[in-house]
Amino acid sequence: MGKGYMGKILTVDLDTATWTEEQVSDEIYEQYLAGQGLGAYILYNRIPAGADPLGPENLLGFMAGLLTGTGSLFSGRWTVVGKSPLTGGWGDANCGGQFAPAIKRSGYDGIFFKGISAKPVYLLIDHDKIELKDATGLWGKDAVETEEILMEEHGTDARVATIGPSGENLSLISGICNDRGRIAARSGLGAVMGSKKLKAVVLKGCMRIGTDNDYEIKRISQKCNRWVQFDLPKWPGFLNAYMGTGIGLLPTQMAIDGFLYKVLNRMWGTSSMNQMSVGMGDSPIKNWKGSNADWGIAKSKTVNSDVFTKCETVKYHCYSCPLGCGGICSISGKYSETHKPEYETVLALGGLIMNEDADSIFYLNEVLNRAGMDTISAGGTVAYAIECFEKGILTREDTGGLELTWGNTEAIVALIEKMVKREGIGDILADGSKAAAKKIGKGSIDYAIQAGGQEPAMHDGRGDPGFGLHYSVEPTPGRHTIGSQLYYEMFQLWKAVKGLPKIKPLYMKDEKYAVDEGKIQQAAACSKYMNIVNACGMCLFGVFLGIKRIPTFDWINAATGWDKSPNDYMDIGERIQTIKQAFNVKHGIDPREYKLSDRALGLPPLTEGANKGRSVPIDKLRHDYWAHFDWDPQTGKPTTTALKRLGIHS
Amino acid sequence: MSYTITEICTGCGACVRICPAHAISGEKKQPHTIKAELCIDCGACGRVCPKGGIQNNIGHACAAVKRALWPKPQIDNKTCMSCSICIDACPAGCLALSGASGKDLHGHPYLTDEKKCIACGYCADECPVMAISMTAPQPEPAQAAAPAAV
Repeated sequence: MGKGYMGKILTVDLDTATWTEEQVSDEIYEQYLAGQGLGAYILYNRIPAGADPLGPENLLGFMAGLLTGTGSLFSGRWTVVGKSPLTGGWGDANCGGQFAPAIKRSGYDGIFFKGISAKPVYLLIDHDKIELKDATGLWGKDAVETEEILMEEHGTDARVATIGPSGENLSLISGICNDRGRIAARSGLGAVMGSKKLKAVVLKGCMRIGTDNDYEIKRISQKCNRWVQFDLPKWPGFLNAYMGTGIGLLPTQMAIDGFLYKVLNRMWGTSSMNQMSVGMGDSPIKNWKGSNADWGIAKSKTVNSDVFTKCETVKYHCYSCPLGCGGICSISGKYSETHKPEYETVLALGGLIMNEDADSIFYLNEVLNRAGMDTISAGGTVAYAIECFEKGILTREDTGGLELTWGNTEAIVALIEKMVKREGIGDILADGSKAAAKKIGKGSIDYAIQAGGQEPAMHDGRGDPGFGLHYSVEPTPGRHTIGSQLYYEMFQLWKAVKGLPKIKPLYMKDEKYAVDEGKIQQAAACSKYMNIVNACGMCLFGVFLGIKRIPTFDWINAATGWDKSPNDYMDIGERIQTIKQAFNVKHGIDPREYKLSDRALGLPPLTEGANKGRSVPIDKLRHDYWAHFDWDPQTGKPTTTALKRLGIHS
Repeated sequence: MSYTITEICTGCGACVRICPAHAISGEKKQPHTIKAELCIDCGACGRVCPKGGIQNNIGHACAAVKRALWPKPQIDNKTCMSCSICIDACPAGCLALSGASGKDLHGHPYLTDEKKCIACGYCADECPVMAISMTAPQPEPAQAAAPAAV
């Protein structure tokens, strides 16, 4: 018997090489769940205002979700939390693989680090022993090499999260890797780990994870698995491209059932969307100034979905995932294999910079995974640099001789290698486009497409205004894994949560751009629900199947023994959202400054392509979204009333 | 509740060597103890103790079982969803995921080293779709056919 969570956290002080265990009360779990929610509670209360993200006062937390290890499915994601050096505010990133349950098997719901070690170290938790071990010999090794060395030393059942050279070099777009290059990439938290001289976390534990009702959890899991295992015969990948183009041309839109995305994901993984999204107007092209008219099917065919499955030697499943959207691909050249590049990576290193060379994308995927650098931000920053070169702001002299033009694969590969090594122009670009624009100046900030310093993902708000809104209002801006109008359709929350608007099966696309109360309810519901999902360690691709097929709330009740309603859980989601926003305000962030760059909001709108003439009505959307949360609608700061109602100390 | 060691213990160390949770300690030839907070109730200590000096988590004495007769996981690949929950659940680290097999690109768990398996059954216990069963090896045909002693 248990409640799904371990009830304890560990805090390691790297200044003194000491650690303390701490019990967390049931009340805190009931208010914040675990994972990102518990992390937000700890960080809000313990990081002093104004702390340097790369200084000793910042806390870096490795969090396991409440549902991880309980027998529920799609619950294998761990979350890293900390004050982001990239945005200056709340930072989090999550990742799959096998690392998440290892945190709980070690006996903790979260492992936090504070201080800065005098020399490189790694944390080893080997059942009953906790040690900080010398990592001097590992410093400089890439993420895959580091993992191999540590597993050689501590056994193949050891689970490793590590930074690569990018985190060591304090690149502000670096992340933390596990399972041979999977990466918790966003928010620049690899740099926080690097600043602490913490090379890796190695976990070897076998604690049991108790729940209130194992039987009920399994019953739900079996039901859910039947949906996942239902497959359709595979069709040629090029049809996805035509499907996308067709959707892009239609004036109407059908509400999307996430089951369709599950089918695509099961067949190809996220690369199913490579060409489809371009045609639909979902993929930003040419640093967000182009469209599918610039990168049509003839150009994007080199990244056809089938290209990525033809070289797939085995499917890759994260912990507790019955779907297996990942894969291991066999490649030629310097590296023999790589994780199947995700859609985000393919488009950030493809259409965004007009690169048609799939081989280079495979190669760069592995380079960036090993370095521990975010592929989304890396692609976005290269796009910025190319546009600077196009405008004459950067010259061949600046780039070290690179002819930095759109789609020049050789120059793009060389530039990213420079970013990883922080060589020449790569040193300036390794901190993302906004930081680079501050150094390069000359009005180049106009070409840095970012929100609060973070490059937005490969989903265009001009095609789905929900993305534009969430990029601009989330406490960690520029993120595509929280909400959009499409996500709301797929979550199907109205089937469980009282008072939420139902989506019409067919509607005119123009309706997406109208601001009404329903849209705001949808956006807020996405934010709240994803806070619950992230607090549980669940996967977005799982919850896309809809709340009836993936009954998150029922799983939580079965794991904990609570009897909370879906609306009770949405209130918890609201509390987590508000404490993250309060974290930002505490650290001097003006939420208005997180607004996405004008170009990506359609200001001015594109003149051709699937999103021709479209703009995101961001000011009205943002105003109403903030008001919905009882935050000041003008400034985005949580009101005293909201904080008090949610039990958050101001 | 955890397993406990009674005063019968002779300190042979068999339980220490097999405990996957590093929960047992004690001087050689002296009675050993189990740290309750580390014990995972896998029962391996009870199965190896030659003296019957282990009590399970409800206070019953455990009986030693010949290791060759310990049940082993049998995995039904058709039911298995490749989620790797069993691999993570295994405290002895003796399960791994296979590569692709023919047209099936989804790997499935297999026992990497039968000798490492401690027969705890947690792989089967945690599998949400009941794709694993714990099966004890059948006695040798010669033994099975042998007439009962008179």
